[in-house]
Amino acid sequence: MEALLGAGGVLSDPDELMVYESDGLTLFRALADFVVFPRTAEDVSLLVRLANREGIPFVARGAGTGLSGGCLPTEGGLVISLMRMNRVLEVDYENQMAVVEPGLVNLHLSWAVGPQGFYYAPDPSSQQACTIGGNIANNSGGPHTLKYGVTTNHVLGLEVVLPDGELMWIGGKTRDAQGYDLVGLFVGSEGTFGIATKIVVRILKKPQAVKTVLAVFDQVDQASEAVSAIIARGLVPAAMEMIDQLTIEAVEDAFGCGYPRDAAAALLIELDGLAAGMEAQAERVVQACRDCGARDVRAARDEAERALLWKGRKSAFGAYGRISPAYMVMDGVIPRTKLPYVLGRVNAIVAAHGLRVGNVFHAGDGNLHPNILYDPRNPGEEARVVAAGAEILKVCAEVGGSISGEHGIGLEKVDYMPFIFSEADLACMHRVKDAFNPTGLCNPGKIFPSNKACVEVGPAYRPHPIEEKGLAQRF
Amino acid sequence: MPSGLLDQLRRIVGAPHVLTGVECSPYVVDGHAPEAAVFPGTREQVAAVVTLAAEQGLPVTPWGGGTKMWIGSPPNRIGLVLALKRLDRILEHEPGDLTVTVEAGLTFDRLQVELGKRGQWLSLDPAASDRATVGGILASDASGPRRHLYGTARDLVIGLTVIGADGRAVRGGGKVVKNVAGYDLPKLYIGSFGTLGILVEATFKLRPRADVDRLVVARFDRLKDAGQGARAVLGSDLIPSALELVDDQALERLSPGAGAALLVGLDGIAPQVEWQVAELERLLAPLGLRESRVLDGELRDETWRGCAALGRPGHDAVAAVMKWAVLPTQLAELMDEGASAAQRNGLRAEMTAHAGVGIVTASLSGSADPGPVVATLTDWRDLVVGANGHATVAWAPLAVKERVPVWDDPGPTLRLMKGIKERLDPSGILNPGRFVGGI
Repeated sequence: MEALLGAGGVLSDPDELMVYESDGLTLFRALADFVVFPRTAEDVSLLVRLANREGIPFVARGAGTGLSGGCLPTEGGLVISLMRMNRVLEVDYENQMAVVEPGLVNLHLSWAVGPQGFYYAPDPSSQQACTIGGNIANNSGGPHTLKYGVTTNHVLGLEVVLPDGELMWIGGKTRDAQGYDLVGLFVGSEGTFGIATKIVVRILKKPQAVKTVLAVFDQVDQASEAVSAIIARGLVPAAMEMIDQLTIEAVEDAFGCGYPRDAAAALLIELDGLAAGMEAQAERVVQACRDCGARDVRAARDEAERALLWKGRKSAFGAYGRISPAYMVMDGVIPRTKLPYVLGRVNAIVAAHGLRVGNVFHAGDGNLHPNILYDPRNPGEEARVVAAGAEILKVCAEVGGSISGEHGIGLEKVDYMPFIFSEADLACMHRVKDAFNPTGLCNPGKIFPSNKACVEVGPAYRPHPIEEKGLAQRF
Repeated sequence: MPSGLLDQLRRIVGAPHVLTGVECSPYVVDGHAPEAAVFPGTREQVAAVVTLAAEQGLPVTPWGGGTKMWIGSPPNRIGLVLALKRLDRILEHEPGDLTVTVEAGLTFDRLQVELGKRGQWLSLDPAASDRATVGGILASDASGPRRHLYGTARDLVIGLTVIGADGRAVRGGGKVVKNVAGYDLPKLYIGSFGTLGILVEATFKLRPRADVDRLVVARFDRLKDAGQGARAVLGSDLIPSALELVDDQALERLSPGAGAALLVGLDGIAPQVEWQVAELERLLAPLGLRESRVLDGELRDETWRGCAALGRPGHDAVAAVMKWAVLPTQLAELMDEGASAAQRNGLRAEMTAHAGVGIVTASLSGSADPGPVVATLTDWRDLVVGANGHATVAWAPLAVKERVPVWDDPGPTLRLMKGIKERLDPSGILNPGRFVGGI
C-alpha cells in the first residue's frame, strides 16, 4: 500500500488510527488496522483488490460526520479515506450538472458553482464538513429537502469501485439509464455496495427570492397543527423546521439569535422561488400560523436577520453541549399529521426514563430529531438513553413511520430493522446485497446484524469546539 | 396448458377470472399468445398464482392496462398473463400527509380524479392515463412533460409492495416522505418491467394542485430556433413545469400551421404564472418567436394529451418509435440529424423532446416496409450512442424488432443486473427475455 500511495498515504500507528475509530455518533468505536488515502479511482480499485486478495474487510470514509456508526471498521481491516479525492472535475452549467470526487465537501460544491448563480440543493446541516461521497452512502437530507428532495433525487451517475475491485460507471450524464436503477440502489446503501469515485450531480439555479418566517407558539400542538395547515393550504415551503422550548433556551443562552425564550415552540419556515407572488405566499403562511394560534409571526427583514434565525436552528446541537455533558440524537420519521401525538409520546417516554429531551427537527417532512440529554458519568444513564431511543423509534414505526430519515441504520439501528421490515423484506435486501457484495468484505456489520463485529460501546459524544461556537453542527 | 394446472388456477382466482384459448387474444405480446390469463382479486391470490407458476416453471407476465406491453425484446414464450386490474383500490389517502397508498391495478386517471377532489395530485403525467395503471406506469417508469420540474416515478414513490418470485410479499420504503432505512428497493422495482416481482401496492408523495395552470405554445420557423428558445428558458429565472420541444412534423399533427414549437407549462399562483408568461415572451421574442398562444382549460389538456400521444403507435402509419436520452444542449442538432436520416431512407420522422432533461421521442412513418425502418433506427442508435446517449426501441413491429435490438448493449453493468435478477428470480419465471441484456 505504501508503494501505491507513498508513506504519507498509509496510517498504521495505533495513535493515529484512533482518530478514525468513531464517526459523529461517538457511542461506538472500532479500530482499523490501516487507514489509507487514495488519490485516484484506480488507487481505490487496487486497494479493494488487495483487500480481497488478503481477505480483509474495508470501509470507505469521508469526513466522519455520520451519525449511525456507518463508516466504522467493525471487523478491523482497511479504512479507505476519500479526503484526498476532493476535486470538482467538471461543471456544465448549460446542462446543469457537475462531476465531482467523493471527498469534496458538500458546501464547497455550492461555493464552486455559486458565482454562476447555481447551487447544490441537498444541504445536510453538517454541510460545512461532510462530503458528497458520504452523502451518497447515506442518501443525506437536510432542511431544504422538503421542497427539493434528498441526495438520491440529485444524483445522475456514479463511477464506482465494486466490492470486488472492478471499476465501472452506473448511470451517467443522461437520464433514464436502461436496465435496473443501479444508481438509485447504490445511493443510500451505506457503503455496502462499493465505493463511489466520481459523482454526477444536478446543480440548480439559485432562486430569485427567499422569504424566511418565524412563527412563535405557546403550545407545541399549535406549532404541529400549523405545519399541517400550511401544507393543507397548498403551499410547499422550501423548509419548515420546528424548535422546542428547551432548545430555544439553550440556543438563546449560547448565541442570542432572537427566539423568544418563553415560547413552547417556534417554526422556522422558508419560502423560495420566483419574486412574483412571494409576498402573497408569505401572507398565506402567516395567516395559517395565526389561525393555529401563533402568538407572533414575523418575516426576516433582511439577509442578516435571516442568517441569524438559521444560526439559531443550525447551532442547536452545539447549544445542547452547553447544557448537558452529552446527548444522543434520534432520527425517526412519522406522517406529518401524527406530529402532536408522537411529540407527546416522545416527551413521556424520555421523562419516564428520568431524562430530558430537546426537539429540533424537519417538521415539514415529519423527520424528528429528539435529542436525549444525559451525563455518561452517571452509572446506567447511557443504557436508559439507548432504551428510551428504541422506544421512540418503536412509536415512529407504530404510526406508520420509519426508524431513519437521513442518518442511516449504520451500526446503531441494526437491531431495530424488524420494527419496520418483515423477515421477507430483509431477506430480499440481503439477496440484493449479495449481488453486489457476495464476500461481505465491503463494510461488514452495517444495516443488518452481524456476529463478527468487534465494537466498543463507550463514553459518548462531546461537542467539537466549532459546534460550541455555533459554526457548524452535526446534522 | 395442462388441464390440471388450469384447474388449480381456477381454484385460486375463481373460474370466471381465468381466460384461455381465443379469450386470450387481447393479451398477445409480439405475436405470442399466452397459455392463460388470470385476474386475481387479492394480493394473496397473486402470491398463490406466482407460487404455482414457479413450481411449474411457467413464465408470468404481469399486465396492467396493457398500454405498454410492446416495450421490450420479443419473448420466447408468454406463459401466464397475470392481470392486476381487479386490484384497483385506493387504500389510504391522508391529505394532511400529502401521501396516498393504492393498489397496482388502479387506473391512473381514476386516482387523479379522486386526489383532485381534495385539491391534490400525483405529479406524473404519463401517456394513455385513462387506461394505464399505477403498476404498469411504475414497472415501465413512464413519465411525461411535467417531469421537467416534478421528476419521475423514482422521485415520487415512497413505498412499494411486490410479490416476489417465491410468492412472498416484500415491502420496500414505507409511507413517509423521507426514509433511508434499508436499501431503496422501490428504486430497483421501478422500471424493472416486471422482471423482479409483481407490483401490488404503491405509496406516493403528492402535491397540492396549482391555482393556475397554463400552457404556452410558442412557435418558431425552425427547430433550431425553438431549441435556442429552450436553452434561453433553461438559463433564465423561469421555473416551468414542462418544456417540450416539438418539431414541425409533430407540430402539424398537434395544431395546424408551419414551423416548430416550444410548449411551456407554467403553473403556480396567479402572480407567478402571469409574470412568467410575460417573461417568456420577452425572452423568446429576439430568438425568432413567430407566435405565442396561452392555453387553459380543455384546450390546454387536449394539447398535452396530443403531445403525449405522438410517441405512441395507433395513429396512422407509425412504423416505429424510439426513445433517445441525450444532453439537453445536444437536442436540436441531433433531432435535425435524425430527421435527415429518416429522409434519406425515404421515411418521415416526428419528434418531441423533454428539452430540460434531454429525452426525445422519435417516431417514424411513411412505409410499412421493415427495410428502411430498420436502417433508420440503426442510424438513429449510432447517432445517439455516438453522442454518449442511449436509445431504446419503444415500439416496432416484430419484423423490425427481430433485426434491431430494443436495448443498447448494457456493457459491464449487465453483470450486476443479472446478479440481482438471478437472486430475486432464480427460476427465471418473471417476464423473462424482454429486458436489457436478455434478462
